[in-house]
Formats: sequence, C-alpha cells, structure tokens
Amino acid sequence: MNLIGTARLALNRIWSTKVRSLLTMLGVVIGVAAIVALTSIVDGASQGINKSLATLGTNQLNITSVAPAALTEQDANALASLDNVAVMFMQSQNEGTIATRENRVTARLVGVSPEYFTAVKPEIALGSYLSKNKAAQVSRDVVFGADAANDLGLTADMLGKSVKLNGQAFRLVGVLDDQAGFGTSGRVYVSLDSARRIFSQYPYVSSIVIQATSPETVDALQIEADRLLRERNGISAEADTRYVITNQASLISAVSSITDTLGLLLTGIAAISLIVGGIGIMNIMLVSVRERTREIGVRRAIGAKQSDVLTQFLIEAIVLSVAGGVVGLILGEIAAFLLAMIGDWTFSIRMDTITLALGFSLVVGVLFGVWPARTASRLEPIDALRFE
Amino acid sequence: MANVVELNDVRREYQVGDQATVALDGVTLSIEKGEFVAIVGPSGSGKSTMMNLIGCLDRPSAGEVKISGAATRGLNDNALTNLRSRSIGFVFQQFQLLPNTSALENVMAPLLYQGMNTRKAKQKATDMLSKLGLADRLNFDRNRLSGGQQQRVAIARALVTSPDIVLADEPTGALDSKTGAQVIDLLKQLNAEGRTIILITHDLEIAASAPRRVFLRDGKIERDERGQK
Repeated sequence: MNLIGTARLALNRIWSTKVRSLLTMLGVVIGVAAIVALTSIVDGASQGINKSLATLGTNQLNITSVAPAALTEQDANALASLDNVAVMFMQSQNEGTIATRENRVTARLVGVSPEYFTAVKPEIALGSYLSKNKAAQVSRDVVFGADAANDLGLTADMLGKSVKLNGQAFRLVGVLDDQAGFGTSGRVYVSLDSARRIFSQYPYVSSIVIQATSPETVDALQIEADRLLRERNGISAEADTRYVITNQASLISAVSSITDTLGLLLTGIAAISLIVGGIGIMNIMLVSVRERTREIGVRRAIGAKQSDVLTQFLIEAIVLSVAGGVVGLILGEIAAFLLAMIGDWTFSIRMDTITLALGFSLVVGVLFGVWPARTASRLEPIDALRFE
Repeated sequence: MANVVELNDVRREYQVGDQATVALDGVTLSIEKGEFVAIVGPSGSGKSTMMNLIGCLDRPSAGEVKISGAATRGLNDNALTNLRSRSIGFVFQQFQLLPNTSALENVMAPLLYQGMNTRKAKQKATDMLSKLGLADRLNFDRNRLSGGQQQRVAIARALVTSPDIVLADEPTGALDSKTGAQVIDLLKQLNAEGRTIILITHDLEIAASAPRRVFLRDGKIERDERGQK
C-alpha cells in the first residue's frame, strides 16, 4: 500500500477513537506548551535585563567604596586624568527619608556630579535634569526616579514645588521615565555637594564611575585605575583595598550566563515532561497493538506486508505526537503572549521555537512509536488470527 | 488442468515447550484449478494447519507445499505475503471485517495492499459488492450489517483480487442454517463460474455440498472422496 493509503488508515483510526487520541496527545501538548512558554519567559527576562544593563554602557568601570572614607574627590580627579578616560562622574549615596506634606517614605538618595546626566542620559518623563552650572551645585534641586516618585505620590503639578529630603527642603525639577535604566527607578538624585552635606561625607565620595574611550581599552584602564588608587592611598599591590572596581562588560556577561543557565534548566524540565508524554504515547500504542491483534492478523491475511503494518502504526504514533506538538505550540504561544503582557516584555513568535517544538514532537513520535510498531509488524499472521 | 495446490509428503510440527506436536504427518494432496474441495475433520485433525499452509500463512517443517506452482518453503515473509496476496482469498468463520471500516473500504483493502491506486480499487470493489447484491450497503460498517451481509462482504473481499484459490474457513459457522445455506449456494455459484473453492469445515452436512471431500484425522488423510452424495 502506498504511504497516502497507510496514512489514511492511521488517521481513520485516530479519528474513530477521538477521546482516547486526545488524552494520548495530552502529555506532548503539555510538554511542548511548557517548552514554548518557558523559552519565551527566559527570553523576555534576559531581554529586559540586557536592555537595562545596556543603559549603563559597556565600557564603564564602577569604583565603589566598601568602607567609609575610602575614596575622595581627589582620587576621582586623578582617575579622570588617566589616558583613555572619556567621562568621569562621582556619586555619594545613602538611605534617606523623602517627604511631602502628605507622605513620608524611605529611598536611596544619590548625589551625582554634573557629568552623570550627560554620561548616562536617563530618559526623563517630566521636567528636566539637574542643572550643570556651578551655582546649581549648591542649589537644592532634586530629580526623582519613577518608583520613588510613585511611592511618594508625586504628580505633574508638583514640579517646582518643595519636597523634604532628610528634613531639608528641596525643589522638584524632574521625574525620570520608568524605562530610564537599570537601578534608576527607586532613586532620588541631588547634586553631589547637597548629598555630601546631608550625609556629612565631605570630602569623600561613595563611588566613582569612569567610562573608557572605547570597549577595547576598558580592561587596561581597570588595571591602571587600580594601580593609581593603590599608589595614592599607599596600599601595596597584594593588600586588600577598601574599594571594588567592577567592569560593566563582565557584569553583563555574568548576568547573561545566569539567564542562559536558567533557560537550560527550565527547558530541561520541560523536556522531561515531553519525554513523559512520549512514554504515554508508547504505552497507548502498545495497548492498541494488543487490542488490534486480530485486525493485524486479518490485514496480513488479505495481503498487508510487515512494512505496511509497521508504517501504519508508526504514522499513528507520529500523527498523535505532532498533533500534540501543534496544539502545545499554540497553547504555549498564547501563554507566552499573556506572560509578555504581564511581564511587560516584547512578545515575538520565533521561528526557531516553532521548529524546536515541531521537531521535538516528531522525534518523540518516532522514538516512542517504533517499538509498538515493530511489535505489531512482527506478529505472526497465524498467531494474530488465532488471538482471542 | 494445472494444480493450484500441491502438497507433497508435508509435515508440520509445532514446538510447545520442550515437546514437539505433529499437526500434519506426511500429507500428499493436489487440487486442480476449478475444483470445489471440502477439507473435513474434527478439531485437532490438522485441518487448521492445512488451511494455514495452503493459505501461505505458514510454511511446512518438511515436504513441499506449492501454491499456484510456487514452493512456499524457504520464502521470506515478504515473498510469502506477495504469493498470498496474489493467490489466496480468505473467508473466515467470524467474517473478520476490519473495524471502523465501510464495506467498500474492506473490499478495497486487498487491492490497495497490492499497490493499486485508490480510484481503480474503488471501482473494482464497488463492482464486486454490486455483483454480490450489496450495492446499497457500500458505506455501511460491520456494526450495521447482518451476519449474512458481513459474510458476503468478506466473500467480496476474498474475490476482488481474482485469486487462484478461495479459502473458506468454516464460513457458515457463525450463521443460522438458512443464511449458511445461502453462503454455500454462493460458493457453489462461484465455483460454477470457474473459481477454485477450498472449504474447511468440521460439519459433514456442509462438507457434503462439495463434489470432493478430503477427510483428515490425526494429521493424516483418512479418505479422499469424489462425487455427489
């Protein structure tokens, strides 16, 4: 019999036992849906994280003090004069309270030197950045991150009005967009001098950020910066420092290796459910071969070859599995779409996900269909006919 | 006339556990084209084994079985299936129509297994069913056919490939006597049209309708009778 004829027999059988066929497919449906949805979650999550990290710039070094009074403004200026430094800015930060007449919450208060806004360029939703002129450095202007503004219940009409930071009055000049970048959302920005006055940190800074002129010079700059700081603070090359230098590029690669591992883990779990689905198909197919032993005998008697019987049962298993894969793919994409809406990342139907889902279910069908199909084709016609 | 069945000193043993059972013991028999032969015997006489050997479902342990001139010993499964498909049409006691399959599809199946295209097979199957008076039952599956109708579908399925031999195993066993008689009449009519019919039965009355009767007992031919009783 030709392949179309055999396929028709297989489809006919699947159709005539609809409920059972659906239940048999269920394992593969769940497995494939899980793979599709989980892949999409991991994708969306790492997309979001990478986007946030990218706002920090890839050729950036963060020098953060891990003990009080570790870094000074003079250290920062010395670093700024190193070769290959494009931009330098300082930060001075601590927990503080922010208050309007109605509300009072805690937030991270960050004093930044004027270069911060030009270097990082966080997107602004309302008003403007802190002014760059010298007078502004001692002014009491403040820019809120999106979450901090929400927490305090700030509205657009409060621009130019007064808010209190640790009890001191400041003037609200801007609110950042909630997409402004990694870690900006819960923060409140004031000038470096204002912050150091609030925290009595003068002349120290919490962290110094330098950006290299190009991604290629970052690593060399990291070594050079470390050498300079050790020299200035009289720390030998072996001794522990009271600051840490982190390289943004290595942070990004660390994060993406975490999301990769997470993705692999989740896909692994989903793959297990797909295998369980395959075993379900195999199980039902073996039962089916037994139930249809006489039918197989009759088919052999009226001229079916072993290969006809093998093909019929194999196609049946493959159709069950691939149909399960298609249904699973649709359900998985719907789940991924809903999750993308909730998680606020971009949803896309990826060709490789479709190929993966259908490919996997095909492989499962063949893998777990072969044994039952072989069992069926190897039945001796006389034994099959005599089977009660 | 050419022999369509030739058994030459055929022996068939079965190994059950560590004991060998002899089902057929030195049987020699030939059946010519166009004959109507009943193979008669009680259960355990070896008639099922004989049917399996003639039907190319089984191969002899010793001796020679030739069907349509081809020796079955040493044929592999594929070659045996091809010979069976070309030479034998089976009619079973319990009809054995395929489940969830219409009368038409049942009759088409042997043609499709021979590799005929669907359109041609459909035409041939329709013609055969019409010839047997089932033109209005083409799309009925076995649940909607009476026993007599099912057996006629089975006979149509056996005939549709124009085999050298129609091998009927207790074809009336599951039918009431009136319907059974109609099936026997149909087989006689087919024989009159030139078909070779081999009827396997334990029922002497049914066997009496065949012009030649081969009696089996304990794996041996006891007697080979010819002529109407």
